[in-house]
Formats: sequence, structure tokens, C-alpha cells
Amino acid sequence: MAEIELATPTPKAERAKPTEMVQLIVFRLGDEDYGIRIEQVKEVTVTPEVARMPKTPPFIKGIANLRGDIIAIIDLEERFRLRPAGRPLPERSYTVAVEAADYTLGLVVREVPRPFTLPLSQIEAAPEFVQDAGTRDKYLEGIAKLPEGGIIIVLDMRKLLTPSEIMRLPGRAASK
Amino acid sequence: MKTRDQEYRELFMAEALEYYDSMSRHLSELERNPNAGPALNELFRLMHNLKANARAMGFNDLGEVAHHLETLFGLIRDQERTFSGPLIKVVFTGVDALGNMIRAVGANQPLPDATALLDNLDRLVRGEAPILDEADAPETEEEANKKMELSDLVYIQVKKLDNLLNLVGELVIDRDRVMTLAQEIGNPALLATAQHLFRISDDLQYSVMDARLVGVGVLLNKFPRVVRDVASAEDKEVELTLSGQDVQIDRNILQIITDALLHLVRNAVSHGLETKDQRHKAGKSPIGHLTLSAMTERDDVLIQVRDDGRGIDTEAVRRKAVERGLTTANAAATLDEQAVWAFLFEPGFSMAQQVTDISGRGVGLDVVKLALDSLGGQLRVESQLGVGTTFTLVLPTSIAVKGALLVELDDRPYAVPLLHTDTVLALHPGQISIVGGVLVTHFQEQAVPLVPLRQLLHDEGDELLPLATKDDMTGAQQVLVVNYNNRRLGLLVDRFIRQQNIVIKPLSKPLDTIDLFGGVTLLGSGQVCLVLDVPALTRLFLAKRP
Amino acid sequence: MNKRILIVDDSFYMRTMLKNMLTDAGYEVVGEAANGAQALEMAASTTPDLITLDVILPDNTGLDVLKSLRQTQPATKVVMCSAVGQEVIVTEAIENGALAYIVKPFSEEKVLEIVGSALQNDASEQPA
Repeated sequence: MAEIELATPTPKAERAKPTEMVQLIVFRLGDEDYGIRIEQVKEVTVTPEVARMPKTPPFIKGIANLRGDIIAIIDLEERFRLRPAGRPLPERSYTVAVEAADYTLGLVVREVPRPFTLPLSQIEAAPEFVQDAGTRDKYLEGIAKLPEGGIIIVLDMRKLLTPSEIMRLPGRAASK
Repeated sequence: MKTRDQEYRELFMAEALEYYDSMSRHLSELERNPNAGPALNELFRLMHNLKANARAMGFNDLGEVAHHLETLFGLIRDQERTFSGPLIKVVFTGVDALGNMIRAVGANQPLPDATALLDNLDRLVRGEAPILDEADAPETEEEANKKMELSDLVYIQVKKLDNLLNLVGELVIDRDRVMTLAQEIGNPALLATAQHLFRISDDLQYSVMDARLVGVGVLLNKFPRVVRDVASAEDKEVELTLSGQDVQIDRNILQIITDALLHLVRNAVSHGLETKDQRHKAGKSPIGHLTLSAMTERDDVLIQVRDDGRGIDTEAVRRKAVERGLTTANAAATLDEQAVWAFLFEPGFSMAQQVTDISGRGVGLDVVKLALDSLGGQLRVESQLGVGTTFTLVLPTSIAVKGALLVELDDRPYAVPLLHTDTVLALHPGQISIVGGVLVTHFQEQAVPLVPLRQLLHDEGDELLPLATKDDMTGAQQVLVVNYNNRRLGLLVDRFIRQQNIVIKPLSKPLDTIDLFGGVTLLGSGQVCLVLDVPALTRLFLAKRP
Repeated sequence: MNKRILIVDDSFYMRTMLKNMLTDAGYEVVGEAANGAQALEMAASTTPDLITLDVILPDNTGLDVLKSLRQTQPATKVVMCSAVGQEVIVTEAIENGALAYIVKPFSEEKVLEIVGSALQNDASEQPA
């Protein structure tokens, strides 16, 4: 229960193939299901002890020690304004460690994430939302409509993970 | 302690043993195939190199044997001799002799006599038959074993050492954790094992740190040329004295301070030292003196740049600081020498009257400060007008482990590197006064501003800090006095936890932009502990004080 | 600007000595090559002002390297390095456009003198 072992990332194939399958790690944010391509996920684990870090926005819950790596833990529910900011973490939560080019980031989620495979063709490009309809739209790869009903919002972590996007600080403190 | 001669000697030994091994290998090949061209070429080349290197080291007898063998292999290669009959025996004896001589060099023993061998090699070169003495060629087991020796020196990329050091850092963190758990569980066998693990990893850490040490001379020895160039461009005469080249320091630390030291030395020659004329008028010898020295002080390494030049004109710096708006005229008037000199290391602050090529186009000494800050080092300045200036870089010997003081604030631990801490105080509210909205206490006849650490950590936006009050102060206040660039600042914390050695891990993106934290460390409990960056805290306080 | 030098020698020890002598004297050692192929590759990528070239190299003779260099980079100055005993090759090297030769074992003064005067010799910049 403590850890969900992940398969090695599948090599990228051509997108055009209709039978191409996509593996997602799916988790719940607010009342919606979100997914991240498994090749962008490093591991899923029970959230380790998180140390609050001063000088960071409230949606950054703090830093945690993940196997010797110190990573930032982020609450996407607050980042996407699905919940009010500044809530304490529950007793047990899960962290999806996602990998950027040169660092790792932890996304904290409240329910156990699960792997999910679907044909790539089921993911539809994100509809044109109004620009400022909500921060999350910028990070969408698309939306997967499931045959049995329901949708999964597929996030593109590479867009979310630029440091300036994550921090979105109102300007650096005038400490220099 | 490694001097350059010693370094050459080690290189020579390492390569000679390698050559010797290759020679033995190629000889066996020749035995199987006497006309193997590549093997002959290689033997020729190896003999040639060994000869050249041995002569450069002054091991002439060794060079002589290699020279004779080189000549002989040249003849075999050119098919004037064949690798057959008694020649084979002499060649093997020759290569064995080389091996013995190399080993003698390594053991600092006199080289064995090779007269008989050289005579035989001469005979072979001349085309005569060698004189073989059956009696002195018994191959004992011991001799056969000697051929198996490998070089006892390896070359390793710094990157690999960095990696090793990081792994040891992690091991030490886990070790502390295991130790804490073992103490909690209280099983004697577990505790004994944990203690053993503790000692071993301590030794391991020490060994890895030791492997990364180099002599400061590696850097200092580059300066005679620099000084000569700058001095001649400025038409000055400078006598440079180096000392302490053997003082050991982590190779990466030396790398990081290279530019800083270059800057200080250029600055000393082009601004510190006067022209010949000026020196003459001041009654000084026309030759300026510059000393670059390294020494150890407790766990630190000090590198000093000392000149006997004009010294720092404190009043000129004071005026310049006011002109540049770094301080107000009123405040400047109250600053002591050290505080004034600290302005020299502010970004862009330069005292250069004329911007010369050498002194870096007006770039100030802030690069020095930045390099030191990144290492958790300190800079000391001593100067006397007309007599000279000494800059002292205080550096850690190793980057891996730093002494730190752990303090607690709002139930969380924070680490402050000892290099930046002066003292801890427990002050009663009566010992604290309010001056211009800032808490102040007097310590060692100096007014030291105090600020709640909480305020600095949670400061947001561009507003100044709130005016200080003593209203909510009850009981003794725990104050950690930190020191940066000769500025003291007292941080109010909840309590002091303990002093301990920590391994600092850098913060990874995206959090590495928050400059108040120099990194994180993991405590024995597994708890993540932020390391405070005293320079950044001091700068923040100076920018935000009401 | 500091003159840039490429060191070609198959002995690590020799390279280190040369490098120390040259860098102490303020030259910039842009690379070290241990064989002919490396030498040609690095000469092309670093375009040094001067190359110190050992005459005896593992894969190639120094002479072949010299000849290729004269073709591809005629402006690069070459100083040969050799221990005594290989005078024949050295003579041939000089005939092929090497400016000078350093005899191993060498003294620091000698190396700096030869390298210094080779670098000043601008007349050699016509293709050989």
C-alpha cells in the first residue's frame, strides 16, 4: 500500500497511430479526475513528512525528503483554485512525484492514484477556453471521454513544471 | 603534503609501472610471433618514453637501460636483428631489470647495478654474442610474483569524487537516523551495530574528503606570472612572496575561489601598491611587496593577500558610499572602519580612479564576497593607511560537512552555519532598547540590531518591517548573533536546539530561487531542516528595516 | 591575449610537466593529445597558436601528424619534442615545417625560450 510500483516508461511512438495506447496515472482533484502520462511520473508514494517553507505561495505545502531528494510538494487543488488555499494536509495523503528535465516535484493528492490505460484517440485536444478561465487550462494536454461515461482531464506536466509557472511569485522580495 | 616534485614523481612512477606491464605483455606476444610489427613498435615507443621520463627525473641508470633496449628494438624493427636465441634472454633480463629499477625508485632505494646487462646490450647492438651467466639467472617464485604489480596510483575525474562525496553525505544522514532509532528501540545488539556503523561511516567520510584535497600551491603557483603581467602593465615593480603552498584544501573550493583570488591580487597590484614615484615620496622602497600565503587555522584554511601599499582610505570609501546612496551621511559618520570597508564588497562599488584594463573595468570586489558566500566562507580585512592592506579569505577545508547551530522557530528546526555565528545571548527585555523602530542591544561595546527571525522569514511584499515594540516580550529572549561582512545582527528565535555537523544539500528547483535558504539538511530524526543563509538574511534586514 | 598551445605527447608525465611549465608562464594550454588521431582532431577544434609535437606516438609517427597539419593548418606553429636518439626524424620534421625542436629531458628555461621564439616567428606564416 505504501508504494505503487510503476512500469518503465513506454517509448514514444508516433501519435498518428489509431491503436496507440496511453498509460495514465489518474487521481482526484476536487470532484474531477485528472491524469498524467505515466512517462512523466517518477513514482507514487505516501506523502513523507512535509516541512513548511517560508517565502513560498500557500499552494506549495513545503518540502519533503523523498529517498534523499528534497522536493517541493504542491497542492494542485489549491493551485487550480478547486479548493480554498492554505488547508492543512490530511493525516494520510499520497504524492505523485513527477519529473521535469532536471528536477522532481511532488503533487499531493488525497485519494490513492491509480493507473489507467486508454487509446490515445480517446484523448481530445483541449477545447478553446477563454484565456483566463482558470490556470489549469494552460496545462491541459486534452480531455479523455470514457466509454462508460465520465472524463479524465489529462495534464501536460512539462508545461506546469517550469519554475516560474510553479512559483508565480508576486515579484521577488526586495532582499537584494 | 604534495609538492610539485612529489606530484611529478608519482606521475612518473604510475606511468613507468604501466609501461613496464605493457612491455611484459608485448614481449610475450613477440615470443609467440617474433615478427609482430605492432608489438615491436610499441616496445620501441615504450622504451623511448621511459628513457625520456627517467632522464627528466634524473634516474639516469634507468634511462640508460631503456635507451639501450630502445636501440635494440629499433634494430629488430628494422630487421637488422631478429628476436631469437640469446637475444631473447637478454631482453627479458633487461625488462626485468627495468621493473626492479622502477620498484627501487618507488621504494626510494638505490637502483640496482646494471653494468653487466648494459655490456650485453651493447654487444647485441654491435652484433656480437652476449655473455650469459647461467648462475645468476634463477627465477624464484618471488621474482615471478613481482611482475604482477600494478600501479598504486589512479587518476580519477573530480566528477566521480563529487558523486562519492554526495553518496557519503547521504550515508551520514541515514547513519544518524539509524543511530537515533537504535537509541529509541534500545536493543543492545542493534545499538552496538549502529555505533560501529557510525565509526565506519565517519572514517569513510574522512577518507573521501581526504581524497579530494590538493595543495593550495596548485593555485598559488599560477600567480607569479599574473603579478608580473599586471605590474608591467602598470609600470610597477612588485616582489611576490608565496608561502603555504602545501596547505591542503578541497579541490572544488580552490576552483570556486580562483576568480576571487585573481581579482584580489590584480586589485592589490593595480590599486593597493603605489607607483615607484609615489613609493619614493612616501619613503618606501620602490619595489612593492605582495605576499600570498596559505595557512590552516583550526578546521579552516586561510588564504591571505597582503600588500605594503597605500592602505584603504577609509574616509574616501565613506564618502563614496554616501555618494552611491548605500548609506546616509549621518549613518556613515557613525560607522567604524570595518563597517566602512564592508562597502568595498558591495556590487558595483569600485574605488578605481581610472579604470584600467587590469583591474577589471570598474567591477568591484563583490565577486570575492559572492564566491565566499557560496562556500560559507568569511572575508577579513586589515588595513592601515600608508602601510598596506591584508585581505584574508577564511575557507572551509571541505565542502561536505559544516558545523551548524540548530535553532527552533514555530516548532521547526533551522540550521545556521557556525562560520556566520558569533555568539548566543539570553537577554532580558531590560537589556534591549528601541532605536528608530529597531530593537538594539549592546554587546562587546557595540550596538547590535535585533530582529525576530519570524519577521524576516515571513516578510512579504515591498513594505518595510513593522516598527519594533517590546510589548509582547516576556522573560529571557533567545538571541543568535550572526556576523556577515563585519555586520552583526541578532536573530530572535524560540530556542537553541544544539550544535551539530550537517551535510548541506542544495535546494532543487523551483525553490532554489529563495535566497534566504542556503540549502537543506536532514537531521538524524529524518526531519527536513532548512539552512539559513546569513548573508541573505542580513541583506534583507538592511533593506527592510524601518 | 594569451597564446594558446596544444600539447601532443603519449606520456602523461611529459604532458603534465609541459603543461605546468607553459601555464606557469602564462600560456593557455588548450588541450592535450596522446596520439596522432587525437592530435589532428584537437588541432582542428581548438586551432591553437602552437603545437608541441612528440615525434614518437602510438598510432602514427609525429612526422605524419606534422605533414597533415602543414596541409590543413599551415598557420599553426609546430615545435617538435623528442628524446635524444631520434635526430633523423627531427631533421626531417624541420624540413617539413616544424619551427624548432625540444630535446627531452628539457629544462623549463629551454622550453619557454624555444616556445617563445617560435611564437614570435611570424615569417613562418606562409604555407610551407
